[in-house]
Amino acid sequence: MLILWIMVIVLVVVLLALVVLLKGVLGAARSITPTVMAIDGVAAAGSKDLDAVIALVTTQNYISQVVAGLANYGGSLDVALPDA
Amino acid sequence: MELVIVIILLLITLIVLTLAVFLIATIAELVKINRGLGGVLNGVAEIATKTAPVNGVLDAINRTLVAGRDLLEGLALKKAGPDAAGLVESCFPGEGQRFLQRIGRSGTVVPIGEDYPRGAAILNSLLGVEPAPAPPVAATQAAAPAPAPAAAGSSSGRISLRKRGFPSGGPTPPSGGAPMGGGGMSMRPRTRAQDEPAPPPDGAPMGGGRISVKGSRPWE
Repeated sequence: MLILWIMVIVLVVVLLALVVLLKGVLGAARSITPTVMAIDGVAAAGSKDLDAVIALVTTQNYISQVVAGLANYGGSLDVALPDA
Repeated sequence: MELVIVIILLLITLIVLTLAVFLIATIAELVKINRGLGGVLNGVAEIATKTAPVNGVLDAINRTLVAGRDLLEGLALKKAGPDAAGLVESCFPGEGQRFLQRIGRSGTVVPIGEDYPRGAAILNSLLGVEPAPAPPVAATQAAAPAPAPAAAGSSSGRISLRKRGFPSGGPTPPSGGAPMGGGGMSMRPRTRAQDEPAPPPDGAPMGGGRISVKGSRPWE
């Protein structure tokens, strides 16, 4: 009979510990959700910001044209000026 | 049934219920997290897709700019000789030493300053004019209207690396082929008419001795 009462006490302690531990796990899981949603929003905004990256191709073309013009200008200077 | 056994059964039931409730709630939160991470993954995948060509484009831009820089530095070295590093240093402070390193030379870089007398002498000799003492720039600008290209060269007779602006209502800057006369590196925007290639003078060599990077242009 004494063993049964000891078992009751152990079960009560186990129940309390279980509640505390599971509450901690649930709280941690609930704290992750808003963080993930915030990251989702930032990723979407970052993806939208990168829509302008395609303009780099236009920049590349302009730079190529500028350097080509520069090369022609340098060639003219090479003809016009004497060497050192 | 004895009371203690009933209590034990009740406690076991409570433990099982507690486990079930908390684990179900945790599973629901994990499902929400999973959905959120799916959205994050989509956003990150879009970012990766959009930034994928950036490296290649930037590398190509860098190669193009380096080719242009090497071309101009080679031209400066060819035309200005030992003064090239000083000219580079005067135009871009701090770059003279790097220029020397790039061409494999060492030494102290002395900036040429705003005026380059040797270049002015060369241009004056090409134009067939006598070098004249430089009048004050403001007086020159205020006194006369825009000179013709040749006259501009003979009036000032100096090359200046100074960036010069032209006052509104004053004389207009010399256009086209007389950059040496005014003596300034003008940052004014050019018109399309100015950008049109001028017809070569009679007997002038066309294409001979031109520096060309054709064939080594990375963008082609």
